[in-house]
Amino acid sequence: MKQKLWVLAAALGLGIAAAAGAADTVKIGLMAPMTGSWASEGQGMKKIVELLAEQQNAKGGVLGKQIEVVTEDDGGDPRTASLAAQRLTTKGVAAVVGTYGSSVTEASQAIYDEAGIPQIANGSTAIRLTEKGLKHFFRTAPRDDEQGRMAAQTIDKLGFKKVAILHDSTSYAKGLADEANALMKKKGRDIVFFDALTPGERDYTTILTKLKGANPDVVLFTGYFPEAGLLLRQKKDMNWKVPFIGGDATNNADLVKIAGKEAADGYYFLSPPQPQDLDTADAKNFLADYQKKHNELPPSIWAVLAGDGFRAIVAGIAGAKSADGGQISGYLHKDLKNFSGLSGPISFDAKGDREGEVYRVYKVDGDGKFVLQKL
Amino acid sequence: MEEFFQQLTNGLAVGGIYALIALGYTMVYGVLKLINFAHGDLFTYGAYLGLTLLTSLALTDRLGFAAGVLVLALMVMGLVAVLGALLERAAYRPLRQSPRLSAVVSALGASIFLQNTLMLIYGARFQVYPDNILPAATLNIFGLYLPLMRVLIVLASVLMMVALYLFIQKTKIGTAIRAAAIDQDAARLMGIDVNRVIMLVFLVGPALGGIAGLMVGLYYGQINFTMGWVYGMKAFTAAILGGIGNIPGAMVGGLLLGVIEALGAAYISLAWKDAIAFCVLILILIVRPTGLLGERVADKV
Repeated sequence: MKQKLWVLAAALGLGIAAAAGAADTVKIGLMAPMTGSWASEGQGMKKIVELLAEQQNAKGGVLGKQIEVVTEDDGGDPRTASLAAQRLTTKGVAAVVGTYGSSVTEASQAIYDEAGIPQIANGSTAIRLTEKGLKHFFRTAPRDDEQGRMAAQTIDKLGFKKVAILHDSTSYAKGLADEANALMKKKGRDIVFFDALTPGERDYTTILTKLKGANPDVVLFTGYFPEAGLLLRQKKDMNWKVPFIGGDATNNADLVKIAGKEAADGYYFLSPPQPQDLDTADAKNFLADYQKKHNELPPSIWAVLAGDGFRAIVAGIAGAKSADGGQISGYLHKDLKNFSGLSGPISFDAKGDREGEVYRVYKVDGDGKFVLQKL
Repeated sequence: MEEFFQQLTNGLAVGGIYALIALGYTMVYGVLKLINFAHGDLFTYGAYLGLTLLTSLALTDRLGFAAGVLVLALMVMGLVAVLGALLERAAYRPLRQSPRLSAVVSALGASIFLQNTLMLIYGARFQVYPDNILPAATLNIFGLYLPLMRVLIVLASVLMMVALYLFIQKTKIGTAIRAAAIDQDAARLMGIDVNRVIMLVFLVGPALGGIAGLMVGLYYGQINFTMGWVYGMKAFTAAILGGIGNIPGAMVGGLLLGVIEALGAAYISLAWKDAIAFCVLILILIVRPTGLLGERVADKV
């Protein structure tokens, strides 16, 4: 509380200073869910961005000025987010990092774009966000369709020929299944099975028997972890040894609990890397600093991607030699290539989507641990 | 052909569970002409009580597998039976003389109450039975893979159904239940305590539902407070299919529904599995409005 008051006082002081016309800092906005059901993500985002700002300021800031992070709470709620965005646009921020949920980001996009302020979202994966032709919108998060691409590529690399695809009719799972199906068909993979199960049931042996009849080399299941766990368990009971690959909705520790360690052993799934699996030197150093300061690891990869958004903005300001929104966006679109981010190289395409792969392949080991695979 | 028989056994295993739950619906309907919508939730209570007793008392460690599971099953049956009797006392008996619709609304309310109580006690996340309790043997008969537990589950279901059938048909108490089902007033005139008969029905039906819940928990491992809805729905359908109010009908209906689902999913379409099962139900009801073995028609509800 004391600290909050101090920040408030500092902000007020700075407000007065800014009003007096002495803009001696570069302001970067952070819009994050500090309250509500995603509060743990928002707090991780804030801790990461503030630590990065601190480190950058120790190195002299940007354009010879110190960086000031201005945080606004979006509450994980679209309506709160549009208010937060309006507040940030009136505070003179050069660019904004955030936010987490796709619908929340969507509610703020137009406001920043109209004000000419670059926005880099960190957790919003919905495809439509970058299909609107907004000039100032970017994201460090992957798009939902990238996962389909990654699924097809992984099956390719693992050398499976005959593929069975199973989804659960939800829009997320069916979308992923359709995407992967189309890509693999184009590449000449033999799709021997494509169908949906009914989520929420207990017995999937009928489906497994039918799958087994199709005799695939691998089964791609795009649904959620409760069904994945049951499928693995019942597959083992049938003495069927086919490998399963799942999407990021199966990245949940309960998967192993439901399936049992023995049945979960060898299960592959796709997911953005967990923070402790980031392998760049930058990331390792930063995570060590973060752990020293906060005594824990960041809550998820999405918070780390907020840090990458912040670093990209700093690079954009330095590269454009200006804190003007239009110039920063121009630099990010055209000149920022293979910038070394915490989560790997960062480049943005014309739509503002991140180029390159964010998804990694994980495999469950005999102890039920999720182990990053090098493919 | 091998696949056909495999699917047939899959269907029978699922159908056995449906049949056990369907017995609870059909017994209550036979005597009270009431659809006990809370029955699916009693099934869920069986699964949760089984998990709690199993982990807190470590029965299988102390008594060995067979005796441990048997004791566990008896305890779960007893507790769920008591729960069923309490439900009857609290939610249905006060409405015995009211219009039938009031009792149905009360049943729906009881269902919501039971389900949310479970969520508040155990939380909304999935609960998992310890996975090292059951023997994981799989029998291989003529190329068919039959996990030992599935065979035991079907055998146990059939055994309980036969025992119930004999109890209803051959004992004096069973005769009283059948008499109350035909005409409550006449039964009362013959000196049968109808309230006690109803109480008994609410002990036996839920006990069978509870044991079905325990078997699902033990075999599938994963339980959740909403699981009674899907199973309850299917078992209710099975009871109608076989002729509601008729005990052998519930058994036949349950097994048949399981097999129709499995074969429909295998040879027509997976995604349309439930639609196929319900189409068959509609077709059967068009030809035989009372269900396969039913004599009385459900004129309301």
